[in-house]
Amino acid sequence: MRTENGKSGYAARPTGQMLRRTLVLMAVCGGAAFALLLGRLYKLQITDHEKYESLAIAQQLRQTPTARARGTIRDRNLKPLAVSASVDNVYLSPAEIEMYGEDKELIADGLSEILGLDRCDILDKASQKGSWYVTVAKKVESETAEKIRKFKAENSLMGVRLETDIKRYYPNSSLACHVIGFVGTDNSGLEGIEAQYESVLAGTKGSTLRATNAYGTELLINGFEEYRPGESGLDVVTTIDTGIQYFIEKHLRQAVADYDIQNGAGAIAMDVNTGEILAMVSLDGYDLNNFLDVSDEVKQEMELAPDEETASEILRNAQTRQWRNKALSDTYEPGSTFKIITLAMALEENVVSENDSFYCPGSVSVVGRTTPIRCWKSGGHGSQNLTQAVQHSCNAAFVNIGQRVGAEKFYEYCDAFGFLELSDDDDASLTARTGIDLAGESGSIWWSRNVFCSKKNLSQLAAASFGQTFTITPLQLITAVSACVNGGHLMQPYVVKALLRPDGTPELEKQPRERRQVISEETSAKVRSILEKVVGDPNEGTGRNAAVAGYRIGGKTGTSEKVSLEAKTGQKEYIVSFIGFAPADEPKIAVLIFLDTPSNESGIYISGGQMAAPVVGRMMADILPYLGVEADGESGRNECSMPMLIGEPLYKARESVSDSGLRCRTIGEGDTVTDQLPAAGTLIAPDSEVILYLGAEISQENEAVPDLAGMTFSQARDSLSSLGLFMNTISPAENAQKRIVCWQSISSGTTVKHGSVIEVTLIDGDETILGKY
Amino acid sequence: MRYDSGRLPDFSVSEGEKTVRRADGSFLTLILILLTTGVIMVLSSSYARAYYDPGNITGGSAVYFFVRQLLYALAGVAAMLFASRLPMDFYRKNSFYFMVAAVVLLALVPFIGVKANGARRWIGIGGLTLQPSEIAKLAIILEFSSMICKFRTGMSTVRYGIIPFTAVLILIVGLLVLEPHFSASIIIIAIGGVMMFLGGVRLGWFAGAFILAGGAVAVLLTMFPYASSRIVTWRDPFASSSDEGYQIIQSLYSIGSGGLSGLGLGGSRQKYLFLPEEHNDFIFSVVCEELGFIGAALILVLFSLLIIRGYCIAMRCGDRYSLLVCAGITSLLAIQVFLNIAVVTNLVPCTGISLPFFSYGGTALIIELFEMGIVLSASRDIF
Repeated sequence: MRTENGKSGYAARPTGQMLRRTLVLMAVCGGAAFALLLGRLYKLQITDHEKYESLAIAQQLRQTPTARARGTIRDRNLKPLAVSASVDNVYLSPAEIEMYGEDKELIADGLSEILGLDRCDILDKASQKGSWYVTVAKKVESETAEKIRKFKAENSLMGVRLETDIKRYYPNSSLACHVIGFVGTDNSGLEGIEAQYESVLAGTKGSTLRATNAYGTELLINGFEEYRPGESGLDVVTTIDTGIQYFIEKHLRQAVADYDIQNGAGAIAMDVNTGEILAMVSLDGYDLNNFLDVSDEVKQEMELAPDEETASEILRNAQTRQWRNKALSDTYEPGSTFKIITLAMALEENVVSENDSFYCPGSVSVVGRTTPIRCWKSGGHGSQNLTQAVQHSCNAAFVNIGQRVGAEKFYEYCDAFGFLELSDDDDASLTARTGIDLAGESGSIWWSRNVFCSKKNLSQLAAASFGQTFTITPLQLITAVSACVNGGHLMQPYVVKALLRPDGTPELEKQPRERRQVISEETSAKVRSILEKVVGDPNEGTGRNAAVAGYRIGGKTGTSEKVSLEAKTGQKEYIVSFIGFAPADEPKIAVLIFLDTPSNESGIYISGGQMAAPVVGRMMADILPYLGVEADGESGRNECSMPMLIGEPLYKARESVSDSGLRCRTIGEGDTVTDQLPAAGTLIAPDSEVILYLGAEISQENEAVPDLAGMTFSQARDSLSSLGLFMNTISPAENAQKRIVCWQSISSGTTVKHGSVIEVTLIDGDETILGKY
Repeated sequence: MRYDSGRLPDFSVSEGEKTVRRADGSFLTLILILLTTGVIMVLSSSYARAYYDPGNITGGSAVYFFVRQLLYALAGVAAMLFASRLPMDFYRKNSFYFMVAAVVLLALVPFIGVKANGARRWIGIGGLTLQPSEIAKLAIILEFSSMICKFRTGMSTVRYGIIPFTAVLILIVGLLVLEPHFSASIIIIAIGGVMMFLGGVRLGWFAGAFILAGGAVAVLLTMFPYASSRIVTWRDPFASSSDEGYQIIQSLYSIGSGGLSGLGLGGSRQKYLFLPEEHNDFIFSVVCEELGFIGAALILVLFSLLIIRGYCIAMRCGDRYSLLVCAGITSLLAIQVFLNIAVVTNLVPCTGISLPFFSYGGTALIIELFEMGIVLSASRDIF
C-alpha cells in the first residue's frame, strides 16, 4: 500500500463527478460505439453480402477465352484451303516492369531485334505508366515466339509476356481468295466463306475462369480454375476444285496480262449438272495471308499522293476493289452470250426451227426506235439458217427471234431462268439473285414490265434478245446457261457441299437442288448441238478459237459494249466474254470468263471470239484431261509423234521421218543417226523440221524462245525448229494454216534446252472476217 | 514468479518487505487473446503481399511481416510487464518529462524525420522507427491527469480548466500539422477532450467546442478542395477514382464478401493485392472477409470487454490520478478501435488509423502494450 499524500490532489479519492463521467465514457466507448460498428458490419456482411461478393468476384475472377479451333476450309477433294495454327501475341506489362525495376532499354533492344520492330516505339510502350497490357506484336509465329520466351527467361523479365492466339493460314495464298475470304485479327470471318460460314467455322468459344490477384496472375493458394470447353468449329468442304481453280486462274491472269485488261476480269466454272461452283476467280486478286497488302502500282500511287488522307483513301479504295468478287458482285450487260437464253426459249416455245431462214441485211429497224439496230457485220450475213444465225452471232436474226417469242413470254422465261423475279407491280424495275451461299451477291437490273412489254416500243425486247439494256451477274448467266445445256434443269448454285465434324464425319451434306426445269430435254439437246457448232465449225463458228483438238466443246462468244458509259463519256469500252461447256454431247463443266475493258493497244482485235474464246480453249485443254474426259484421238489432232531414230541408218531414218508427217535436217557427217531432236515420242506440229545428228553432239547451250505472237502456224513452227525447238498446239488442224499464234506456253526470251516443245494457241489471222461478236 | 494451479499467472511478487499486488487477470487475458489473434491475422493478411513483394521490401519471403510482428509482440509484452511493475507514482512524478520528451521529439520531426507518402511522421532510432505522435498521446494522458489533480476544483474555471489544457493541445496539434499528420491530430484532440471531460470541465464548453469544430470543418471543406474530395469519396466511393476511393471499395468488397461465416482463416482473396494496406490500416477488412460477421463481431466484443474492463479498473482506483490515467488510456484504445473500424467500413471518411493489437507496426504496438501495462500497474493498487 502506498502512502497517502494529503497535500496533493493526486492521491485524493476520485470525485463523484469523475466516477459518473467515467461511467458515461464506458457506456459510450465500450457500448454505444461498438453497437454502431456491429450494426454497420451487419449491413455490409449480411444485408449487402451478395452485392459485394459478386462485385469482388467480378474483379477476382478472370475469364480468358481459350484459343478455339476454327474449322478448316477444304476444297472438294478435302485439300486444305484455310487452316488455323497456334501463334502468340507479345505484350508488355509496364506496371510490372516498373515494379520489378526491369531494364526498359534491355527489353526494347531485345524485342526490337527479335521482332524487327522500332526500338523507340517499344521503349515508349514499356514506359506507359500504370498499364498492365500494351500490345507489342500480334500473331507472332512459334519460331519467333520461342526466341522471345528464351529472351524473357534469360533476363527473367516479368514485364514481357506472351499469350496464345490463333492465326489463319491460307496455303494457296491468292488461289480462290474471293471464295475463301479472310478473318480479322479477332479471328472472325470478314469475307467469303470465312464470313458466310462464320458461326459454323468458329464453333463456340471456350474459356478458362481463374481466380487471380490484382495483377491478373495466379494465386498462391486458394487457387481456383475452371475450364469451360468450347465446341470446336466444323470443317467446311467447298465445291471448289483446287486443280480447276488453278488452271482457270492461271489462264485468266495470262489473258489479263496479254490483252492489258483495264478493269479486271472474272471467271466461274460450274458443274452444269449440280450447280456446284468448281472455280471462281476475280482479278486482281490478293494474297489471303496479307489481305491488306495492295499491288505495287497502288503503293506507287500512294507515294505520289499529296497528303496522308488521300493516300489512305487510295489504299482503302484499292483494298475494297481487290476484295470485291466480280463474279457475283459486278453486274454487266452480257451481250451475245445471252443469245443462248433467247435461243433456248425460242426453241422451247417452238417459234423457231432449225430449218428456218433468217435474212440479215446488216441492220434491222425496230418499232419505237429511231435508228435501226445494226448487226456487227456491216454488210450483213445474208440468208442463214438458225444454226448459222447462232454461229454468226447475228444480231438481226436474234431481234427477229426475240420478237417471235414476244416480250411477255421473254420476261417469263427470264424469270424462270432466274434473271429476274416477276412482280405484281408492272412499273417496278425488276431484280433477282441466285441466292448462292456467299456474301456480296448483287442483283440484276431489268426494265419494268410496262416498259419492256410496251406494244409501241419493241426496242427493249430487241436489244435484250442479244443481251443488251439489262444487267446481270456472271453467276446468273452461267447458272442459266448450265440449265440450257444440262437438260433444262435450273440448279441452285452453291460453294459449300458439306460440313465435317473434327473427327471427319459429316454433320451436313448438301445435295444439289433443282429450282425448276425451264426447258425440255429435247430443247436442251438442240441448244447443245447448235452451240457445239459455234465452237466446232472452223469456218463459220464465231467461237472457233475456243476449239481444242480432240474435245467436243460448245460455247458462245460475247462482246458487250458499255452502253451507259458511252452515253456518259463518249468512250467506247467493251467487256469481252466467252461461255463454254464440255463435253458438248454430255456436259460436265461450264466455264464463263469475262474480261473488262481490254486495251486498244494489245494488237489483238477486241472481241469475245478473238480474246476470250482462246483463253477458255486453253482452260478446257487443261481441265478436261484433269477431269478424266478422254480425248477423241481421231478428231483433228494437230500433231505428229517423233519416231525413235537413234542407231538407224540415215536413209531409213529419213523414211521414218516423212512417214510420221515430218521433215528433217542433218548435222554432222555419217551414215548412222547418233542422236535426235526432239526425243522419241514427243508430239509436235505436223511438217516440223526435226534434227538428226550424224556423229555430232547436241549443243548443251540453252536457246532463247522467240516471240511467236502474230506469226502464222508454219512461220512459228519453222522459226522454232530452226533454233532446235519445236511447236505443238491444242488448236485443231483444220484451217490451222490460215491462223496466227496468239499465245505461247513459254514466253519469249525464256531460255530453254534444245528439243523443248512450246505450246501455242491459234486465233483467226484474217482481219476481214473479224467482228464484235 | 509462482503459479497457482487453476488460476491465472500471479504477478504479485515480493519486493523486500513490500508486496506488489496481483494485476487484473481479466484485463491481461483479453489483451493477450486480442494480441495473439492480431499476430495471426498479420500472417494471414500479409503473406500474399510479402510473397509478391511489389514494394521490394520482403525479398519474396511470405512470412516477412509475420516474423517481425511476432518479435514486436514479444517485445511489447515485455514492455507491458515492465510498465505494470512501475508504480503509479513513477508515472505521476514523470508526467511532465514525458510531455517534454514528446514535444521535443515532435519538434525534431520536421528536421530529422523520415519522409514517406508526402509526410514526415517517423524518427529513425537505430533500425527502428518511432512515431513521436504515439508518445504524445500517452504524454497527453499522463500530463493532463497530473494537471487535473493539481488544479482540483479549479477545473471548472476557464483559467485552470480551459486555458492550460488548450494551450498544450494547440502546441502539440500545431507540431503535428507541420508533419502533417491529420489522423493523429484528431486523436490527440479527442483524447485531450476526454481528459478535460473527466477532469470536470463544464459541459457547456464541450457543446461550444463541438459547434466550433463543426464550423471549422465547414470552412476547411470550402477552402481546401483536397478535404472536400475526401467527403465526396466517403459519400460515394464508387464514383471516385481517387486512391482513397479505391481503398474503400476494396475494403467494402472484402468485408461484404465475408458474409456470415467468412471464407475461413487464410481464405481471403482480396488480400491478393486488391486491398491496399491489408496488413496495416485495413487488416480488419481481411478479418471480416476470412472470419465473417461472426468472427468480426466476436473480436468487437473482445475489444468492448477490454474497454469496459479498463473503465472498471479506472473506477475502482483509489486515487484520482490512477483513475484519470486508466480511463484516459482506455478511452484512447476505444477511440483508435472505433475510428479504425469506422474507416474500413466507410462509416467515417478515410484516414489512416491503425487497429490496436492487429495492425502491423513495431513501435505503435510496443507503446500500446506499454500503455496497457500502466493500466495493469494501476490495477495492482485495487484492494
